[in-house]
Amino acid sequence: MRDYSIEPSVVKGKPTFHEIDQTIGAPLEKAPDKKFFMAISITGTMLLIGVISMGLSVYYGTGLWGNNNPVGWGFPIVNFVFWVGIGHAGTLISAILFLFRQRWRNGIARFAEGMTIFAVITAGIFPLFHTGRPWLAHYLMPHPNDHSLWVNFTSPLLWDVFAVSTYLIVSFIFWYVGLIPDFANLRDRTKNKIKKIIYSITSFGWRGSNRHWQNYEMVYLILAGFATPLVLSVHTIVSFDFAVSQLPGWHTTIFPPYFVAGAVFSGFAMVQNVLIFIRKIFDFEHIITIDVLEKMNKIIIMTGSFVGYAYGMEFFMAWYSGNEAESFAFINRAFGDYAWAYWIMVSCNVIFPQLFWIKKIRRTIPAMFIIGVLVNVGMWFERFVITVTSLSRDFLPSSWAYFTPTLIDGGILVGSFGLFFTLLLIFTKTMPVISLAEIKAVLDGSQPSHHHKGGGSHEN
Amino acid sequence: MENNYTYVKKDLPSVLGKFGYTFLLVGIVATVLAFVFDPTRATFNSLLTFTYLMGIGMCSLFLIGLEYLADAVWSVGFRRIAEYLAVLVLIAPIFAIPVLFNMHGVFHWTHEEAVAADAILAKKAPYLNVNFFIIRFIGIILVMGAFLLILVRNSAKQDSSGDQKITWRNIKWSAVMMPFFGISITLIAVDWLMSLEPHWFSTIIGVYYFSGSLLTTFAIITLFAVKLKDWNILPDFITKDHFYNLGAFMFAFINFWAYIAFSQLLLIWYANIPEETFWYLLKFEGSWMYVSIGLIFIQFLIPYAALVSQPSKSSYKRLKIMAIWLIFAHFYDLYWLAMSTYNKDGAFFGWIEIAFIILGIGVVVTTFKIVYNKRKLVPVGDPKLKRCIDFHL
Amino acid sequence: MRTEKLFAIGGLFDNTNDLMAATGKVTDKGYKLFDVNTPFPVHGLDHKMKLKPSPMGYFALVFGIAGTITALAMMTFMMVYDYPINIGGKPDFALPAFIPVTFELTVLFAAIGTVFALLMVFFKFPDNANPLHDTNYMQRCTSDRFGIHIIAKDKLFNEDEVYDFLLSIGAKNIERIYQYEEEKIPIMSKQFIGFLVVSIIIISGASYFVFNKLMFMPPFNWMEDQQRVDVESTSTFFEDGFGMRNKVEGTVLKSYMPDEYKTEPDSAGIYLENPLEYNEKNIALGKAKFLTYCSPCHDNFAKGNSRLGDQFPKPPTLHSKKLREWTDGRIYHVITFGQGVMPQYASQVTKTERWAIIQYIRTLQRAFNPGEEDFEDGK
Repeated sequence: MRDYSIEPSVVKGKPTFHEIDQTIGAPLEKAPDKKFFMAISITGTMLLIGVISMGLSVYYGTGLWGNNNPVGWGFPIVNFVFWVGIGHAGTLISAILFLFRQRWRNGIARFAEGMTIFAVITAGIFPLFHTGRPWLAHYLMPHPNDHSLWVNFTSPLLWDVFAVSTYLIVSFIFWYVGLIPDFANLRDRTKNKIKKIIYSITSFGWRGSNRHWQNYEMVYLILAGFATPLVLSVHTIVSFDFAVSQLPGWHTTIFPPYFVAGAVFSGFAMVQNVLIFIRKIFDFEHIITIDVLEKMNKIIIMTGSFVGYAYGMEFFMAWYSGNEAESFAFINRAFGDYAWAYWIMVSCNVIFPQLFWIKKIRRTIPAMFIIGVLVNVGMWFERFVITVTSLSRDFLPSSWAYFTPTLIDGGILVGSFGLFFTLLLIFTKTMPVISLAEIKAVLDGSQPSHHHKGGGSHEN
Repeated sequence: MENNYTYVKKDLPSVLGKFGYTFLLVGIVATVLAFVFDPTRATFNSLLTFTYLMGIGMCSLFLIGLEYLADAVWSVGFRRIAEYLAVLVLIAPIFAIPVLFNMHGVFHWTHEEAVAADAILAKKAPYLNVNFFIIRFIGIILVMGAFLLILVRNSAKQDSSGDQKITWRNIKWSAVMMPFFGISITLIAVDWLMSLEPHWFSTIIGVYYFSGSLLTTFAIITLFAVKLKDWNILPDFITKDHFYNLGAFMFAFINFWAYIAFSQLLLIWYANIPEETFWYLLKFEGSWMYVSIGLIFIQFLIPYAALVSQPSKSSYKRLKIMAIWLIFAHFYDLYWLAMSTYNKDGAFFGWIEIAFIILGIGVVVTTFKIVYNKRKLVPVGDPKLKRCIDFHL
Repeated sequence: MRTEKLFAIGGLFDNTNDLMAATGKVTDKGYKLFDVNTPFPVHGLDHKMKLKPSPMGYFALVFGIAGTITALAMMTFMMVYDYPINIGGKPDFALPAFIPVTFELTVLFAAIGTVFALLMVFFKFPDNANPLHDTNYMQRCTSDRFGIHIIAKDKLFNEDEVYDFLLSIGAKNIERIYQYEEEKIPIMSKQFIGFLVVSIIIISGASYFVFNKLMFMPPFNWMEDQQRVDVESTSTFFEDGFGMRNKVEGTVLKSYMPDEYKTEPDSAGIYLENPLEYNEKNIALGKAKFLTYCSPCHDNFAKGNSRLGDQFPKPPTLHSKKLREWTDGRIYHVITFGQGVMPQYASQVTKTERWAIIQYIRTLQRAFNPGEEDFEDGK
């Protein structure tokens, strides 16, 4: 039992500012080593598999995928929702935890935001190619054209276009704004002439001036304030893709917050998993501490509980509604053709994460890693169950069919992981994965101690 | 106790007690008359008051639990106010009793002939029947009441012992409480609000009710806190920085309520399925249309504009006005939710509604006064108190 | 290149408490043109420097509202005025459906606008020519020290006084920072012109390539060559290479009714009966059509005095005994399929109109050959 009267330290070991610079800057100074090349060859191979699968799909058409009638939405949409969901953890950590003034987020925010951007890039590939003729994708954006056609603003698929694009742009801006002081730091400490020029350009000439910090902090707060409803809106709009329809199993009003909670749930599991590696490989264990990981696991169980609540509500209302189609949809999920997928989903999303109630498991690396992996598997299957079971048993029994994914589907899924992890690996070698400025701001003793009691409010 | 804080018990100004007792008395008389003159309408209002106050009580418990689980520091100075309000989980059920005696007038699914004739209602009967309804109702009171007693008694014990283990225990109990809270608040929404239109259903109704109740709970806590500050009773260490957080949470939940309300509307509007849309169409009928449009302004647009800027969230005057506004806005919201069942033709507002509002205010103020006198306003034994005193934005 | 002109004098501190105290002394002394450089934002420093609150919130508000208005205006124009389509029975201005896009654009405009305002207007970035760069002072300030520098332009500035003052408030590594030489780059410099020329070439080349060449290369040209049979073109699908096909033997087109009695006028006369009722309306219709289509050759009274001059031979009168004895169906056959020189009028008058014309002809016949029953009291 810890001492609740003491403010817990964010970083252990009382490193100096210089030591922080050294620790976090070290991967950027060293040339990539054998382990790095091994890692990137694995992810690169996965990416290559994806590129080939996708290239074949573009050339031969989407018939190479398992999508059929009535399961017109298969792996691509499941993968899209999966990756967009993973992106949400990053924004939650950097924006929402910032608004809640949880200082422990400072050590992981940069990395999480980077993961958001890479996850959203990976996700964006799916709607692009899902359209079947990606070279005409510019028609998704409203612009005057010689067909006099505008986009359909009442379609949630179009809202997705706006939402995901906005999310990518705003996340990128938010991430970049946070990087400016760090680029300045690197610019001023590097001995390499080329790096100095690059960092000078990317830092825009930042000088650490407090007159600038004041406005910078305000903009950071505003961006966090906007990013919070934005991240809620993005996955809400993704949920609208399903919920605005009339399909039993898709049309439930709880989808928006349920999807958002599910996204945070899977995103945090992914972030936690990757951080376990990062902190070990780069010696960040005193910054990304077990306390941080434990807090993340608490958020995992919180969001996982909401996902479980949503399952319960859906099931209850399906019965309560008295609507046979609705009740059938849910019984079919649990006992029909895809029951295996359903029970993987329930066990991975509802049952296994309950282990996080036990403190020891929350604080043990191998256990939390496994649970994190299971959560991601479960969440992928959740999207699969929602999409495929409802479609394969839609309104007319004469149109029912079973969906089987093809090798190409699998190849694209593997490729998406390849893309995500390749981008991540490149990120670890080119930019500081922990925000230098933010982590220094929360070291013990780095802020002035207040000599006056209470005091007035600070002008933020 | 190394808090370096000495608690001085100050009496509430007598005007508060007079205010509370007057409203309580007038309210009781008026509501009794209401039951004499128009029992069905009075029963509906009683249901409304029950759902309002029960939501406040349960969300106060939720906030207490959340403070423990999130290891929050800024709210320690306000926690007692939430503890006072949490007692409402045992008091609000009083307003449910008239409803239990007049289920027939309020709940269509209690009409056995109607249920027998309607296949859909018959299917719901295993859940929507009077016995199970009452069992759920009593179960929620017992469960929430149990958590109330555990958390609040522990907190009171800590005042004298200063034992950190009590905090540890309350954290564990808060964790256990949360799933029960989720189920309870959902059941209140499903049983008491959604089943008024038994053909209708919405999986998000629990979240909707929770968002509105939580927002109002923040508002009531803020109002009490600002008033206590005005009367110089609130300890000096609670500054604008602490209040800023209350303002920020009110702002956040204004947005959250709007998000939930909009999601529900958009999905039902878009799919356009008659078995769902009729519920909204009831609220667009006649003068209900104005009430519906008004809801957007009263519960979202106006409070949003009033609390969006940074300085507004730490201005005592703004916080007080918006707290009062939001308290009434939540009543407006629940009224909009429930009352179109009573009168489908148009909105109505008369002395009966005012009677129950007065009684509700009287109940809350009197409860607050009574519990305040029993327990310290500051949790002097809380290990996080010093950190709360030192809290700055 | 540094000049001899002094820009500022700066000193370093190694912890924020000293920094705060020192900053207080700087503002107390009355210096206005000074700044504090820190590697991370320090709590309370804004207050100590007596800075006015940041106005960035207003920018966010304005840009955000601009986003909202843009989104709603755009969707109203496109979905209500320019090309309204009935989608799912929803109204043209479907406000609930417009909300998501409106929200996204609000956030997008607010975020981009505020950040650009911050960087370009407030910070005047990029600014790599600031004299503070490449100094020992700046090198520490962005990593592990906190600095205060007082700018030479300040009214109370005196080089030695400021140096001693900084010493007195506890600054270390005090450094004099000199201005850079002003680099004047003429607008018509070789690099700039070269850059312009290269950009022009690249942009015009790329545009030309994309619009004139790329759009006709696979996969962009995949829609040009479609596997369908076009009219009046060859076809690789059919053996004989023709796109236009004849009717298959023994079949009839779906909307086509074959002509009955085409070569059997007498059968038409026997079997076809006038389905129209003899009333004023039908006779009026028949009169109108007769005058339009028949009278040029048959004249207004069906006597056969053609108005066409010598183009066509004069038709026989329709009041002859033969015609009066012909059935309606026999006349119908003539109108539909023609007779002799008279072409078919099936494509000019509908079936109903033909029967109506026949009624009118009957009226005319009766007018010119009245029977006993047509007279009343000798009139």
